[in-house]
Amino acid sequence: MNPLYVIFTLCIFTAVILSAWFLSNHLFSVFGKRKSRLDRIFDPVDNLLFKLGGVDPKKEMTWKEYFLNLLILNVFQAALAFVILNFQLYLPLNPQGFPDVRWDLALNTVMSIASNTNLQHYAGESTLSYLSQMMGITFLQFTSAASGLSAAVAIFRGFSGKYGGIGNFYSDFVRSLTRVLIPLSLVASVVLVGLGVPQSLNGYLLVKTVEGSSQMLQIGPVASMTSIMQIGTNGGGYFGANSAYPFENPSPISNWFEIFLMMLIPTSVPFLFGKMVGNRKEGSTVLISAYAIYAMNLIAAFAVVTTLGQGMEVRFGAFSSVFWTVTTTAFTTGSVNASLYAFNQIVITAAFLGMMIQSVPGGVGVGTMYMIMYIVITIFIVGLMAGRTPEYLGAKITPRDVKLALIAFLQHPVLILIPTAIAFSTGAAAAAGAGNNPEGFITIFYEFTSAAANNGSDFLGTAGNTAFFNISTAAVMWLGRFIPIALMLSISGSMSSRIRNPSPGLHTDNLTFAAILVVSILLLAVLTFFPFLVIGPVLAYLEGHVNGF
Amino acid sequence: MDSSVKGGNVTGRLAETGGPLSAGYLGIVKESLVRLSPRRLLSNPVMLAVELSFFLTLILSIFPGLIPKVTTPSEQPFYMVVAVILFVTVWFSTLSDSIAEAQIRATASSLRKIEQEVTAIKLDKDRNPSEVSSKDLRKGDIIMIRKGDHIPIDCEVLEGIGMVDESLVTGESDLVQKAPTDSLIGGSILRSDTLIAMVSANPGETYLSRLIAIVESSKRPKTPNETAISILLLGLTIGFTIIVAVLLWFSVILHLGVDLSVLLALYVCLLPTTIGALLPAIGISGINRMSSRGIIAKSGKAIEAAGDTDTLLLDKTGTITYGNRTAVAYIPIGGHTEREVGEAAFLSSWNDDTPEGRSIIDLSFTKGYFPREFASIDRAEAMEFSAATRMSSVKLEDADEFVLPKGGKGILQRRRMRRKYIRPDTGDEIDISKGAPDAIRESVPECPSGYDDMASEISASGDTAMAVAVGTEIVGFIRLRDRVKSGIRAKIEDVEIMGITPVMITGDQELTARKIGSEVGIDRIVSQAKPETKMLLVTEEQKGGKIVSMLGDGTNDAPALAVADVGLAMASGTMAAKEAANLVDLESSPGKIIDVVMMGKQLLMTRGAVTTFSIANDLAKYFAIVPVMFSSLPDLQRINILGLSPHVAVLAALIFNAIIIPLLIPLAMRGARFRPRSTMSIFLRNAMIYGFGGILLPFAGIEAIGILLNLIPGGIV
Repeated sequence: MNPLYVIFTLCIFTAVILSAWFLSNHLFSVFGKRKSRLDRIFDPVDNLLFKLGGVDPKKEMTWKEYFLNLLILNVFQAALAFVILNFQLYLPLNPQGFPDVRWDLALNTVMSIASNTNLQHYAGESTLSYLSQMMGITFLQFTSAASGLSAAVAIFRGFSGKYGGIGNFYSDFVRSLTRVLIPLSLVASVVLVGLGVPQSLNGYLLVKTVEGSSQMLQIGPVASMTSIMQIGTNGGGYFGANSAYPFENPSPISNWFEIFLMMLIPTSVPFLFGKMVGNRKEGSTVLISAYAIYAMNLIAAFAVVTTLGQGMEVRFGAFSSVFWTVTTTAFTTGSVNASLYAFNQIVITAAFLGMMIQSVPGGVGVGTMYMIMYIVITIFIVGLMAGRTPEYLGAKITPRDVKLALIAFLQHPVLILIPTAIAFSTGAAAAAGAGNNPEGFITIFYEFTSAAANNGSDFLGTAGNTAFFNISTAAVMWLGRFIPIALMLSISGSMSSRIRNPSPGLHTDNLTFAAILVVSILLLAVLTFFPFLVIGPVLAYLEGHVNGF
Repeated sequence: MDSSVKGGNVTGRLAETGGPLSAGYLGIVKESLVRLSPRRLLSNPVMLAVELSFFLTLILSIFPGLIPKVTTPSEQPFYMVVAVILFVTVWFSTLSDSIAEAQIRATASSLRKIEQEVTAIKLDKDRNPSEVSSKDLRKGDIIMIRKGDHIPIDCEVLEGIGMVDESLVTGESDLVQKAPTDSLIGGSILRSDTLIAMVSANPGETYLSRLIAIVESSKRPKTPNETAISILLLGLTIGFTIIVAVLLWFSVILHLGVDLSVLLALYVCLLPTTIGALLPAIGISGINRMSSRGIIAKSGKAIEAAGDTDTLLLDKTGTITYGNRTAVAYIPIGGHTEREVGEAAFLSSWNDDTPEGRSIIDLSFTKGYFPREFASIDRAEAMEFSAATRMSSVKLEDADEFVLPKGGKGILQRRRMRRKYIRPDTGDEIDISKGAPDAIRESVPECPSGYDDMASEISASGDTAMAVAVGTEIVGFIRLRDRVKSGIRAKIEDVEIMGITPVMITGDQELTARKIGSEVGIDRIVSQAKPETKMLLVTEEQKGGKIVSMLGDGTNDAPALAVADVGLAMASGTMAAKEAANLVDLESSPGKIIDVVMMGKQLLMTRGAVTTFSIANDLAKYFAIVPVMFSSLPDLQRINILGLSPHVAVLAALIFNAIIIPLLIPLAMRGARFRPRSTMSIFLRNAMIYGFGGILLPFAGIEAIGILLNLIPGGIV
């Protein structure tokens, strides 16, 4: 491994963690109890929105109310986007005159974006109108990230036990948008435009090249989408080639800036968790555990020979392509800057691990939520060895918590494995070009892993635009998104009123616990997925597919 | 202190009855086979899944080519071996259950020996006696108990006062005085006088037999963590079932060449069979460890709550100190002599049969303070004893405050005691009283100078001051000293190391209490406690998120016992206390509350250790089986780090999986050993042993078994 890689990686980590720490202070004033000077600017905006929506942002919600409001709002927004995509030909801002999107692709697309997955079975530049891109895709990218962040802070409030409940969904949702996502995206968009990413509502440009031939330049409102797709760990790009396309990611500088953006909020949320539960070390423990596994994935990916494979961008080079791929799966963003076919199978295994674990550090909000799920399971299994009923943050873990956390954990392999098996037995896999061999298996297995983990990167791409994959992945994405949120909100709801022991025996705010948590998470991931990784990427590696297949 | 449990009374009796496994090894084996019935395994999903896998492989051993693509006829011998190992795996599980059940039955029958069948004297309506067996007594029958008789059954005294030896039942060696309305426990022995009593329970429904029935009952309550582990095991079973089913499916459609029997072997290896097999036995053994020390848990929750204890309320008297304070000195005051004090103390204590009273008489005799008025005591007594009870021989002020101490307790309630004598020379009546310094001061018109200073000086040195007054004049103090129990300091240290806060409760003065507290290392002291103090303390601690354990015996304690997370009642205590508590100590040994906490911790620890170990084991089993299970993927041989051939690898993993169960039965039965340390260091130590050890050990174990299997001449199947 090149020592420069290590130094560069450490620099990126430092920059991200420092910025995330500063951002967490702001997040704490948005969601915690702290007042902020910015309130004077934002409060009137928020209050206007609450008045328009007719909601009382101060009303404390039960976990069921919180979840139902979150779900209904998401369904409503997705339905709206569905209508726009389905009738884009008759709607304004379609200078290219793209036809309406077929219903199953439209369904898959809106459910994909609304679940923060952004699995794209379409090439945006040749399918969607500007209105669809902005009102269908970019709008949902904001709301889905806001939903994830809201669910996470509600869960933190319950686990903290200091807020007398889990809060109000509409308050969290609106604040996520107005005080976090929109301001951050504005800044990021401006920077991206400065780095050469187009932002335009004019039609595509036909230009003469130096050689004298002509070329169609596909432009559009790209910068605004690229910023939120990274900041909100959505991953759905303007173009089919995503951030491998020069207009979405023009230079190495924009490349690292986009990596920085996708790491920012997920790194910040564990700090927020620590602040909300009243012990910053609890948050650091979560972050250290997540980064430890993320770093392991990076090391594994760089340990094998890293050469420029077919499908990588020469602009970025092998190092930043591998770094991006491991990061985009670890943070369940799903944006790509190179074709997955280009990578060594060890890199693919590392990518799989990121999506199987979902919390290293995972997507906006939900990454830390999954980490709490792992903590509940781990504390229950190993904590008994301390000779006490296991406690987390002073609250005893009840049989019901164990049950719900376990369902949240098991839904993931079920949502991945059963649809993969169905895809192969119904011939749907073959129809999408996946053969009955390790390569074919990896393609389909990756598709559903990415869908269930709400990641969005995939091998299939537009080949996945079949009725089977559009509908099945849509279902997997929504179940994989909302079941865990519901279950974790439910645990959190019952935690919020539980009596706390101020001096618990088992301390969860230290490096030792982080080490145990890391081992436990890896063990749980291996226990559920080991045989499938073996017959997929491991076998492909052993068979000699060193650089892609 | 090591967690290994020191022998108590009941344990001693256990040894006499011929060891814990009196059911006989044959009986245990027989029962373990009966338990193999799938219907009895319904409550244990892990073992049920193993048994179903066994049935499948059994069918394969008979019809080896039954299912095309995933079975091969030539593999028949291999199928048979797999079937045998799976069968043995389930049997090891039922065997551990049966051993634990046999143990607890042995404990119950040894407890039951306390309440043996005896001949009782029953009185009919006209009080005519007849001899009947205690079995034939019914509630409401009137019986007569003579000196030296065993009390045949639980009953309530109607007439007479007698001294009863309850040591067989409660372990308390002091005789207890029983008067009308007091209850008698079946199995204790009447040492003096004759009593008439009414039977209060039918045979088999006595308090003791109800308690023993809880121990024996198969419907022992599940503890919350046991429920949570069952949920975890069910979840893992469902998860692994799906994983293995999908793997089978992929194997067929992608032509990976997996044999069904190998897949079933992988399935069984992955299932948490170790904890699944031992979970019931661990619970039963935990209850057995408590029962064999005479502690009966009325609810499963209490056992675990004991391990969770944050705050431990300890009565000073009886738990920390022996409770029988002895007089060690007389301190005169206001110009009186030591002799005056000694003689007055002697007179005031003549009829005081509490340990303190006896120790005062002893001290006066030793010092030679033998009062002249002693002669009149006889007369006075003769006169006074003509009354119906001994109680009336003591003239008391505010009599409703006075409770005759039982077994050396009750100091709290007694404030002052007074006697009257006739002076032999002058014929004047004298009035001698002794009691707490403030009570005595209230009863005299004026108080000598230095009285309060002396009283607090005695208290400050950790002793108890008792003032003595002759007539209306205070003559001095008796210095009473309580002895701290041997070994209590070390026990309290253990408790504190484990993060539990001990709180000492006493009716003593603040200064006395502090002195004793600092002597044994307790910082939190509640002095001058009133009966309701305990209850307030319990609820206050619980509001702060603490789990509170306490001990009690009086009716006063009942409300607190009911609210406390762990309420341990003494069998010698009142019925109200025993009903309110969730644990009852048949031996009535107050210091045992600390052992109960340790036993609770040990039970939780054992469950956690075996669960972690069981799940950690899976990694090695994956690495043993997965690389060799796909016969059409020879490339996977490169990750076969154990280097075993397919059949050997599968069998070695299966054998390891089965054999670890009986190897861990002793751990399940005696509980995980631990030394008192902070919760975090106990946790880390166990995490290293059972967690990391659980990951590494099976690699070595499977490899070793594999090497042994390769030694079999002609190779294994």
